[in-house]
Amino acid sequence: MSKPLISVKNLKKYFNVGWRKTLKAVDGINFDIYPGETFGLVGESGCGKSTAGRTIIGLYEPTDGTTTFNGKNIYDLSRNEMQKIRKDIQMIFQDPYTSLNPRIPVQDIVAEPLDIHNIYSNPNQRRKRVIELLNLVGLGEEHTNRFPHEFSGGQRQRIGIARALALNPKFIICDEPISALDVSIQAQVINLLKNLQKGMGLTYLFISHDLSMVRYISERIGVMYSGHIVELADSEDLYADPIHPYTQALLSAIPIPDPKKQRDRYRIILKGDILSPINPKESCRFESRCPYVLDICGRKEPGFKKVKNNHFVACHRANEIIDGTLNQSRNPY
Amino acid sequence: MEKLLDVKDLAVSFRTYFGEIEAVRGISFHVNKGETVAIVGESGCGKSVTSNSLMQLLQMPPAYYKRGKILFQGENIIKKSEKEMQDIRGNKISMIFQDPMASLNPTMKVGKQIIEGIVKRQGLGKNKARKKAIEMLESVSVPQSNKRIGQYPHELSIGMCQRVMIAIAMISNPKLLIADEPTTALDVTVQAQILDIMKDIQKKSQTSIILITHDLGIVADMSDRIIVMYAGKFMEEGNVMEVFNNPMHPYTGKLLGSVPGLNINKFEPLHSIEGSPPDLYKPPTGCPFFDRCDEAMYICKDNVPERTYHSDTHYSCCWLNHPMAKDAAEGGEI
Repeated sequence: MSKPLISVKNLKKYFNVGWRKTLKAVDGINFDIYPGETFGLVGESGCGKSTAGRTIIGLYEPTDGTTTFNGKNIYDLSRNEMQKIRKDIQMIFQDPYTSLNPRIPVQDIVAEPLDIHNIYSNPNQRRKRVIELLNLVGLGEEHTNRFPHEFSGGQRQRIGIARALALNPKFIICDEPISALDVSIQAQVINLLKNLQKGMGLTYLFISHDLSMVRYISERIGVMYSGHIVELADSEDLYADPIHPYTQALLSAIPIPDPKKQRDRYRIILKGDILSPINPKESCRFESRCPYVLDICGRKEPGFKKVKNNHFVACHRANEIIDGTLNQSRNPY
Repeated sequence: MEKLLDVKDLAVSFRTYFGEIEAVRGISFHVNKGETVAIVGESGCGKSVTSNSLMQLLQMPPAYYKRGKILFQGENIIKKSEKEMQDIRGNKISMIFQDPMASLNPTMKVGKQIIEGIVKRQGLGKNKARKKAIEMLESVSVPQSNKRIGQYPHELSIGMCQRVMIAIAMISNPKLLIADEPTTALDVTVQAQILDIMKDIQKKSQTSIILITHDLGIVADMSDRIIVMYAGKFMEEGNVMEVFNNPMHPYTGKLLGSVPGLNINKFEPLHSIEGSPPDLYKPPTGCPFFDRCDEAMYICKDNVPERTYHSDTHYSCCWLNHPMAKDAAEGGEI
């Protein structure tokens, strides 16, 4: 494979939430993203996936770790250099209702990155570029002078995408771009993102809790649980052969829109709740809910091991699960 | 089968400064004893207005019942006074809401919230009521329930709160449970737990459930019958197998196509529905799906399609399925 475009090493982000209380939102995650691919990051709410995205782009100061972009650790850069890099890394946010300023018209929203980086001095050129961008996302010239409240959720998300594309970025972090939208509109936005990727050679980090959408859009997927990545694999491989008990439970919990299959299939219903990420102990974070828990799981954090080509798992019993010595069905999806 | 709830040509509108919003525009359906009926649709299609109007929970004004009847065990709910409604709410019809954190009272211990209704109505003693609350929490799989009843909602996780909501709804053994997006605020693994609990409870107590959701996966899992709603009208209704295997309305077909299922091809685009739902200030005169439909015809613009039955239980409202549509395609006229 070619060289990774962005490479995250041992990234940590802790928040102080009170006297001697540390919330370990992201606790040492590693992954590479290669040019032109979509890397999916899935997990339940509170697992740290959005914090990971925001830390990678530098919206949060990392506690530890590095993010290498184009061979440079972006956390070491000066303000000036960082601003240059920001042209290449853009972000699409979850809620199109709060991420657009309600008091400025669409053309200024879309042109804001252009203004910040002083791309155009000629207002005609600037306007031309705005219209070009709006056309790219399926909006038109007639929308330039309107305000965000005049648009529906799907259209607003398109405006957010146009803004992210303004500077011709290489890498876009999509933080739950579709979860605030209706099913029929979700498909529109996903198709748009896919077409743009094909046309402009973009690389995506796609953060979502919608597992079936992530499967559709990403080439590789990392599954996060309580600040750790517990499994990382090619997307088809992950869905066909999940190894970590959490991934198995997660996949079996997605309802399939097919009544016959949904009612017949084997499902794992997890007991209990997620361990609090505040001052976690040195253990597997999934220990409290895992059906295959052993003594060692409560004492030692499992390391991230390669189990197959491009397939990594953090579980003490990964080998037993692969051998099939644990009595279970491995493919619940 | 016994009809528990029979809704006939119900229309609900809101009077606002900008004019009238026709949120629900003439819907008819029934719910039998012990079955689960799912109402699916996009946001703004009138699902929640429907469910709230069944219990007279809408604020009136601005809302008002334009026409129609809601017959619950043969009696028209619309005609009931507020006092009579109080006897029905929570007692015969219960409801679970979308956001459990927002629907529980944060200043009251959960135990008290669970028994509040039955203490008022049945005059139970303190100890008996407490015992009943613990029993109820156990039946919705809340661990350490005798400890939990003394806690406040903020001490519980969101999944636990939703269980408490179900306990509150089920404590007086209602005939009908309305679940308005019961799992939308929850994570998938917690969602699976909650859906399991709802299935269990239904098996035990033979309660009918109206499930309001936008998630077709949940519908496939839970419901016996499914109703597809769009812009305040029903587009298709049928047994869950009939609708999923053989969707007759173009909207249903597209809705099913826009969710990536099991056998998706990554290289094909998803079937999206272009455009957005119509504005209900000025609802379309004909088929509401007209301007997003690929197969729209002249007749669709101004004429509301009637029900066409494909089997005893399965109908769709689309001119394409009208018995005379085939003739028209061959050169005849409608």
